[in-house]
Amino acid sequence: MHRFTSFLFLGGFLFFLSVLAGILPLGDPPMLIGQVIQNQGATETGAANLVTAVVLGYRGIDTLGELAILFAAATAGGLVLSSGRRKSSVCSDDDAGFIVKTAAELLFPLLVVAGLYIVIHGHLTPGGGFQGGVILASAFFLPLLARPSAKMNHKVMSLVEGFSGAAFICIGLIGLFNHGAFLQPFLSKGVVGELFSAGTLPLLYIAVGLKVGAELAGLLAALNEEDDTEEGNEHA
Amino acid sequence: MLDANSILFAGAVGLLVIGIGGMVISDHLYRMLLALALAEAGANLMLVLAGFKWNAVAPIVTFSMAGTSGMVDPVPQAMVLTAIVIGVGVQALALTMIIRIRNAYGTLSMREIKHKMEQDFAAKADLPIETRNIPARNE
Amino acid sequence: MQELIILTFAVPLLLAFLLPSLSRISFTLSKLLAPVVLVALAVMVGCIWQFHDDTFVLHIGNFTGPQGIVFYIDRLALLFAFAVPVITVLLWPWYFDPQESSELKTRKLSLTLLLVAASAGMSLSGDIFNLYVFYELLAVASYGLIAAGDHKAGGSSYAAAFRYLMISALGSVFALLGIALIYFQTGTLNLAHLSEMKQVLDSPAGLIAFVFILLGFGVKAELFPVNSWVPEAYMASSKRVAGLLAGLVSKLAVLVIIKALILIYPQDEARQLLLILGVIGVLIGEFSAMKAQDMTRMLSWSSIAQLGLVFIAFSIPGKAGMLAGLAVALHHMITKPALFLIAERWGGSLQKLTGQAASSPLMAALFVLFALSMVGVPPLPGFWAKFLLLSGLSAQEAWLAIGVVLVMTVIEANYLYRVISSLYGKDELQSISSGHHKADVFSAAILGGVLIFSTIQIQAIGKTLDDIASDAVDIKSYISNSIGGSS
Repeated sequence: MHRFTSFLFLGGFLFFLSVLAGILPLGDPPMLIGQVIQNQGATETGAANLVTAVVLGYRGIDTLGELAILFAAATAGGLVLSSGRRKSSVCSDDDAGFIVKTAAELLFPLLVVAGLYIVIHGHLTPGGGFQGGVILASAFFLPLLARPSAKMNHKVMSLVEGFSGAAFICIGLIGLFNHGAFLQPFLSKGVVGELFSAGTLPLLYIAVGLKVGAELAGLLAALNEEDDTEEGNEHA
Repeated sequence: MLDANSILFAGAVGLLVIGIGGMVISDHLYRMLLALALAEAGANLMLVLAGFKWNAVAPIVTFSMAGTSGMVDPVPQAMVLTAIVIGVGVQALALTMIIRIRNAYGTLSMREIKHKMEQDFAAKADLPIETRNIPARNE
Repeated sequence: MQELIILTFAVPLLLAFLLPSLSRISFTLSKLLAPVVLVALAVMVGCIWQFHDDTFVLHIGNFTGPQGIVFYIDRLALLFAFAVPVITVLLWPWYFDPQESSELKTRKLSLTLLLVAASAGMSLSGDIFNLYVFYELLAVASYGLIAAGDHKAGGSSYAAAFRYLMISALGSVFALLGIALIYFQTGTLNLAHLSEMKQVLDSPAGLIAFVFILLGFGVKAELFPVNSWVPEAYMASSKRVAGLLAGLVSKLAVLVIIKALILIYPQDEARQLLLILGVIGVLIGEFSAMKAQDMTRMLSWSSIAQLGLVFIAFSIPGKAGMLAGLAVALHHMITKPALFLIAERWGGSLQKLTGQAASSPLMAALFVLFALSMVGVPPLPGFWAKFLLLSGLSAQEAWLAIGVVLVMTVIEANYLYRVISSLYGKDELQSISSGHHKADVFSAAILGGVLIFSTIQIQAIGKTLDDIASDAVDIKSYISNSIGGSS
């Protein structure tokens, strides 16, 4: 009976949302601020990729909040995982096999290059700090999958994470104290479309990329170590 | 009825309904988390659709706009970037909590977990000076 | 000088990022640095209030116009920007359990600082998606703080945090949907710009967007029906975290809803919805508080009821509603954290509280003070807050709401009196427990002092609140300040 009423409720909700979707003007957005950004974005920030201009320029403080959210999630995750865990230093898992080990060794530099490329070219092509950061995180997590007995250096990861986050805020604060507004882009805007353009925007994205990469790698490694502890207990 | 607009919306609305329904109905913790991921994907899709224009190109200035109706709205795309990252953070955190709940209570059924949690609270309240938690299985 | 207000957001964030590295060098340094920084920020906000009494606007990144993000700083925003670091310092985790590792303690401190940064940002921002991002930051920080548990994380704290996470994430999906609907119809995210486009949002789709946003932001505002997480979370976490959530975080969530209500949705339907949800919240909260067997559960249900009262107050249109709502909200912001501090030692079963007044006479006296103010005994500020509320409601001829408020007062008096008489009672068999920790007593005493000070200075405070309220409901000047002059 409970199931039936739930599905009835869901059916009603589906109908409601469909009617709502019917009212909305899809394909013809009002574009009040969108149009302004399309007209002025490239000249005002120097970035060719207008989404980057919005993410780091017009709505830079949203990105800062997002970074903080990821940091909070990683910190809270570390807090939850580390409490109530026995320190187990011996891992009984074998290495992952010849194919995975070799592939991991081959893929690691490729992933790092791909990640850094996407991070650095965020203001020119689709991509940016978050996307590149995730690729960097997977690059640093891959060796752990290949060799489960290896341990990630959490100390270095949390140092990189902390300092790149601080770098983002410090660039914003330099904008505040030298130029009048927090997160104001400075440095020369250059020519739209070149690698060295858009002022501080690529620097911000590099900070974001490093932070996200270090954070996610650390979180994945912590989850992986948790997994080892579980299996260790089950074998014992 | 089945024009291109409705197909686009059907994706977003369908994901939302499945996700929200899954979260509300489900009893298994991990399935609730997966339903949350679906619901967030649906909401993000709805947000991206808010900036969509037919026959338009990506909002990159150096791309050529010949024969198109202009660029898509870049603001919803920036919003979705933020929303996706927020969703990833929350889902990772929820996963760590699920692991710890499984360790402490030995079950992943929401009904049993609620019952055990209430038992823990009752035990905690009886002793106002010191706190006492039911020891985890592995300790 | 006034641009420095952004530091109330940026500096706690910077410190939170650097705290793990800092505490590797020396944990004591990080433990002491954070409260000092917060106090310094509070002092700075106080100075800005003294010297720049006018409303001003900050364009983040110097991008003028609605395409950038605008921080709108009127006296209401300054009030909250001041209250956030002050209340956090009063509820700071000064003492830890001895067996906690320093890594765990650092993480808790980082999360508390992130909570401060998010709260400061939320009180200042004037852009709806920016408010959503800060709200999510607040949410994730609170998930972590609740999961950290009360002295020791255990199954119950993880379970409570997970249930809270699920409800909050569901709310966030709805809030994001609401923002998407608003953007579909208007194409802008700036609150002042949206206020100019009120007519566009006066449609079914617009009102549905308001309901979604209400559900989303109402999770932290303990609004019915998304408040089932409250008793579990407050019981599972440490009482200081519960005080922060109930006292500070809920007010900021209410502030966001009220900004949306006043600026974008001045329709009657929106207010009536708030009134209905507030009334239900009050009734459920008070009846459940009466049935509660232990102090923490009683305080959490009482918190839900008080926030229902805040929503009833804000459902009154115009300046009267703003004033009443502000008065009730600020009063709750002072009393509830203090009550939770008292519950740090006495948070258990109510039966065990017999005669405990002897172990901490100051705390028992403070409990009586706060209980009297909550019930609304003159001349304490609680009486004035309820009086403003009732006079506003009677001007609106909302007899049902008035009846609910009166019933609520009676029930509150009932269960609070039960606790007080048990505290001061005598029971031969009951042993006297150890007293409260000094830090708790100190913070609760400061809050009690603030309450007594406001009783004495009620005229001046009332006048200030009146000014703040009339500024806050002045939509025209909001729009002209945000967009008019500068772009």
